[in-house]
Amino acid sequence: MVLVLALGDLHIPHRAADLPPKFKSMLVPGKIQHIICTGNLCIKEVQDYLKTLCPDLHITRGEYDEDTRYPETKTLTIGQFKLGLCHGHQVIPWGDLDSLAMLQRQLDVDILVTGHTHQFTAYKHEGGVVINPGSATGAYSSITYDVNPSFVLMDIDGLRVVVYVYELIDGEVKVDKIDFKKTPATTHSAH
Amino acid sequence: MEFRPRNYVAEEQSHLLPRSRADIHPFSSYSPQSILRQVDDNEENRNNEEFFDPLRAPDSNASVETVDGHDFESSSNGNDDSFPVQTKEWTSFKRFLMQRFPVSKMISVSSMSNTIVRSGKAHEKSSSSTHLEELDDPQKFSETDTKVITQQEYVSRLHELKDEINRAWHSEDRVKSLKLSIKVARLLMDTSVSNFYPTLFVLVTDVLNMLGDMVWERIRQKAEFAEDGARLCSLRENFRASDVPIDAKETCYNWFCKVGSIRELLPRIYLELAIFPCWRFLIEQPAESLQRLVMMTRGIGDPLASAYCRLYIAHRAQKLPSHDTGYLITCLNDITLIFTRISSTKESAHGCFADSKRSLVSLMEPSIEFIMKCILSDASQRRAGKVLVELGLGRSQEELFGGSPCVSIVLHHLLKELPIDIVSFHAVDILHLIKCSNDNSYDQSLNYRLVGLRLSEQISQIGSVEAVVNKVIQVVSEYGLDDYLKIVDAYLDIVLQNQMDGHLKTILEGISKLASDKVLAEDELASLQSILVKLLSHFKDLEHVFSLNHFLQILDMMHGNSRGIVNMHILDMATRNGYVHDPTTIQLLFEISQALHSDTDLVNMKNDDNQQQARLISRFVRMVDHGVEYERHLAFLMECRGALGSIIELKEILVHSSNCLATKALKDGKKHTAFVKTCIAFSEITIPSIPGHIKQLNLYLGTAEVALLGGLVSHSDGLIDSAINCLQSSDWMEGSRTLDSDGILSSIRKLCSLLIMIPGNPEVGILHIPKSLLLIIHSQSWSPRLKARILCAIISLSATLSQERLPYHADHPEIMGNDLLFFGDSSYVCELLSLTESVIQNLVDVIEQEPSRAARGSLSLEACNCIASSFKINEHVLSVCSKLIETAKLCLNAKDKYLTSTISFLDKNLPAGAVSSSIVI
Amino acid sequence: MSTKIDLSLSRPNRIYRPSEPLEGKIVVKSASSISHYGIRMALNGSVNLQVRGGSAGVIESFYGVVKPITILSRTLEIRPSGKIVSGTTEIPFSITLRNPKEDNSERFYETFHGTNISIQYLATVDIMRGYLHKSLSATVEFIVESDKADLLNPPISPEMVIFYITQDTQRHSILPELKSGGFRITGRISTQCSMLEPLSGELIVEASVLPICSIDIHLLRVESVLLGEKIITETSLIQTTQIADGDVCRNMTLPIYVVLPRLLTCPTVLAGPFSIEFKVAIVVIFQSELSRLHPKSDPLTPRLWMAMETLPLELVRARER
Repeated sequence: MVLVLALGDLHIPHRAADLPPKFKSMLVPGKIQHIICTGNLCIKEVQDYLKTLCPDLHITRGEYDEDTRYPETKTLTIGQFKLGLCHGHQVIPWGDLDSLAMLQRQLDVDILVTGHTHQFTAYKHEGGVVINPGSATGAYSSITYDVNPSFVLMDIDGLRVVVYVYELIDGEVKVDKIDFKKTPATTHSAH
Repeated sequence: MEFRPRNYVAEEQSHLLPRSRADIHPFSSYSPQSILRQVDDNEENRNNEEFFDPLRAPDSNASVETVDGHDFESSSNGNDDSFPVQTKEWTSFKRFLMQRFPVSKMISVSSMSNTIVRSGKAHEKSSSSTHLEELDDPQKFSETDTKVITQQEYVSRLHELKDEINRAWHSEDRVKSLKLSIKVARLLMDTSVSNFYPTLFVLVTDVLNMLGDMVWERIRQKAEFAEDGARLCSLRENFRASDVPIDAKETCYNWFCKVGSIRELLPRIYLELAIFPCWRFLIEQPAESLQRLVMMTRGIGDPLASAYCRLYIAHRAQKLPSHDTGYLITCLNDITLIFTRISSTKESAHGCFADSKRSLVSLMEPSIEFIMKCILSDASQRRAGKVLVELGLGRSQEELFGGSPCVSIVLHHLLKELPIDIVSFHAVDILHLIKCSNDNSYDQSLNYRLVGLRLSEQISQIGSVEAVVNKVIQVVSEYGLDDYLKIVDAYLDIVLQNQMDGHLKTILEGISKLASDKVLAEDELASLQSILVKLLSHFKDLEHVFSLNHFLQILDMMHGNSRGIVNMHILDMATRNGYVHDPTTIQLLFEISQALHSDTDLVNMKNDDNQQQARLISRFVRMVDHGVEYERHLAFLMECRGALGSIIELKEILVHSSNCLATKALKDGKKHTAFVKTCIAFSEITIPSIPGHIKQLNLYLGTAEVALLGGLVSHSDGLIDSAINCLQSSDWMEGSRTLDSDGILSSIRKLCSLLIMIPGNPEVGILHIPKSLLLIIHSQSWSPRLKARILCAIISLSATLSQERLPYHADHPEIMGNDLLFFGDSSYVCELLSLTESVIQNLVDVIEQEPSRAARGSLSLEACNCIASSFKINEHVLSVCSKLIETAKLCLNAKDKYLTSTISFLDKNLPAGAVSSSIVI
Repeated sequence: MSTKIDLSLSRPNRIYRPSEPLEGKIVVKSASSISHYGIRMALNGSVNLQVRGGSAGVIESFYGVVKPITILSRTLEIRPSGKIVSGTTEIPFSITLRNPKEDNSERFYETFHGTNISIQYLATVDIMRGYLHKSLSATVEFIVESDKADLLNPPISPEMVIFYITQDTQRHSILPELKSGGFRITGRISTQCSMLEPLSGELIVEASVLPICSIDIHLLRVESVLLGEKIITETSLIQTTQIADGDVCRNMTLPIYVVLPRLLTCPTVLAGPFSIEFKVAIVVIFQSELSRLHPKSDPLTPRLWMAMETLPLELVRARER
């Protein structure tokens, strides 16, 4: 059992001062094995904070990130899964399933995690999964200022992933889960 | 060609992963705090068992002892424990000694030290004679010549001597080793270059320690092994003299006899100390001899030489397992007597006499420091009390500080090492003692300060805080500003933590009185800085600090670097606990920021310190929160831009802040259009002064987004034009150091996605912006891969714009999307198609220009994916895709994952019945 | 091939007491076997006295050697005539020094090597090989210390003498400023001292008008030989030990701790024909410009900038602690 925290679009300090306290109190060091962050943190202090939660931290570059050395995309393998990471402002149009599927083919990953829209979504297509953890601070987005803070925790266990979605709605943390399995034969099947 | 129609909503619905309520999740199943708590509890329990269980403690000790009795190995480990620590301590002490007293390059060497000047041959001669007395320098009294050599020469000569001693020893010429060692020890009789003495001491004692170790080893060897190498016995680490065979004793006794026959006192003491640990072979209580050596040291008339001799005693005594400190107390009392003698010496004819006294005292200080450490290290309260009585400071355990006054430098080191409980409990008496101990060996005010610092280690334990602070306030009232600040600084934490507001008031009043009309000196500024920083870190609330009497007045007295540091602390503190709301505070902090800003050396913005200041100012600006007074906040941002404009980082913050301010206003739902316009105008004006085109581009786009949120189409059009202008500017040369093609590409892609929300403007042409992009591509000498990817972006954009229902719209009721405006308009679709067709042609050509094969292959696949997703697949599209696949196949491995997945994607999207033979692999 | 003979004593320090047997072995290394007419061991001990001219200003005619005094002279047969096989042969021996049957007329003085007096004990082994061959022999010195039975019981009574050194106790002329300004150095020192213990005592500089330059303890040895009617005395300085270097603090107790030089001392002997005695001199040197001008000479020659006190010292052999 491996816990992977996925989050992004914090926009600290430009659009939010900090993570919501209710999130912060849940995120304690030592529980999470990996953090993947889609980008737009935006300042180094946030990266430092995430490092304290878990030293294995993977970040891709959002357009407002202070640190321009983050890569545009990143892939990593956790257990049986290959994960891809990208901020998502580069996707045309934003959040489009077909465009994300293109990126997923290009990166050759089972799970693609992107952000930018500040809305949690999770889709399954062509045997792959696309997840958007939303904005962890509820910052306004390119499209709307009506955003609920959210992040995602993935529990990867063998061929099974349980995605927990943490959303802060009207001051309360609401947790949903999504369960999916990878069928080894269907991914990357050649013609 | 025909764009592939999309139904974004339906597609999303059909691919949505089902979600359900999770009552149990990784952050819920157990409270993380409780786990941490459990660990803590365990830790505590374990500690309890180990340290506080009175029944178990002796038991475990006993078992260790039985092991000792049988097992030599383990006992040796146990006993050796303290030695490496001491070795390490000594090593660092030596380094401290050499660093503290730096030496001028040249050293005049009196004739006494001619061991150093003489050539090596002289030693050969003397080693052949048997009487040690010959080592006496016959010219000691007659010759006063001095020779000058460099320090380096001196040191390297000593190293040579050390090697020579070592060599002689190992070639069985131990008498020569001893004789050379005596010569080396005699060097310490010369204190004429006093600043070199500590270094000399370190060098000489290194040699002597080496000799001592060799003698120890030899005797031990003799005790354990017969001459033919047979093992006689094995001495345990804690052996007794009675365990040592008679022959080894005889050899050992001979060494002490040889050393005892050295005529001169100082080398005789040093040599005996070098081999001192060997007394353990002869007598059961070798520590008793230490008292004699301490007494013998009294015969050394030179204060400096005798102080360092005592230091060596303390060091060598550490080699013994004994913990008696009586001899060290005698040492200290003797040194004290010397100090009394020095300070009572009347001013002589020389004008610089006081100076030389001061430097002598400071040269002797390390000795006191070390001895005091040896006496009081890990001393229990009771033992420390005994020491105080023995030093004559206390009359009894009950009255530890009722005795006579103390030489202030000795007192200083005593206070440094005393167990904190004694200092806490007897603080008032100690202060009184300092008052009585007023000689010139140490600055009295520094002793007051030291007590304050010691007491601050354990503030809650101070016996009578009120009396202590009263006393201190009374004492400082007689001092000038510098001392006043130094002392008060040390006690400030005590005053603060005990909420002694009255005293705090008195102190601040005192400072302001002493400091007014005075230009503060460096030292004073440093103390003041420390005081203000303490105040700032004590109070949580900045407003509270500002409201303290005289605080702002004192702050104003400060200048320069210290002022800057205090200012930075204020800013740091102001922004540490979230937003700053209070207008007065904001104003004050703004002024502080201005002061910091004007101090900042603009030329050296790269400088770390200045970056730190820039960061703090920026953080302050973004932490300012005027709540719903948006106008006021915007006015503040404008003020900042005017006053703090040279901080680049800040300007970016200003744009973000004003944008954020606009969205907040919008979210409030009231009519704020004018305000939002002002915000956007503010951002628009600010952006051009921020260096970096990509940064500008992104900020224009971000501001355009906000304009759209506010329904300000013309503003967003203007901002997007500015963004395009950014792209057009000429310095995007490839190869120039600053070109970030990933950044450009992702920003252009973002622009494309943003364009989806922006209604086309028929006046300039609906596709005016994509066309501008194409022009830019042609005019810039970008790499083929960058161009190809931008072309793909334009294809994706066109395909999206052709849809009946766009995937997203501007979040404002007054803005109509292109779908509503133009869908169904045949000329619109035609324009889109014709644009796209030329782009596709362009794309294929550009890909061919890509020099790298691997990049060409993956670009082909990207293009193929893009085209296949955008269009209904017909003959024409298929032929383009096939061509691209062929290119990719030529460039990539046939098993390439991207290649295979693209082919299967194409297959899946082929219309039923279409001929697919061309792409079968 | 040569034959080697070696005499090796049982104790590495070669110290024996008169009541103890002298033990050891004769080691013969030979390539071939040797026939002999017996192996003999001779023990000889004597006091050798000589008188040299010099310090005492003795006239020429006294110069010469006085007849030695024999302490011990014995010869024993270790092996009767026989053969020693080739290779290394070890022949142990054990000889009592003091013959219990003999009258104890001669005292076993302790071994001593002085200027005019020398007390020496030698053991010699001879392998007698007839006229054709040179006899093989080896000699070794052994050291005699007093018998335990004769020793004083420790601790020896701490006989301390109190001394005062002031401007008025000096028998030589001193600097005028010393004379007028004065000085006072007091202390105590043992006048009887065990050979195994350091000479001990203490000293306090109570006052001094001039700064102290150095305080030294000189150990003197006095050898006297009876030559006819006259006693010829030779005093030699055998050790100097500095106890103060520079102007020490006033009224501080300085220890006197002098380790006796083992080879240059022996218990005080007062025999008829000779005597060996010791003295201790405490010499204070004051800082003075004059002293700088003078070359270093005999440290015991009285000078204007010096003060001294000489005391007798009896050295005794005490039982070991």
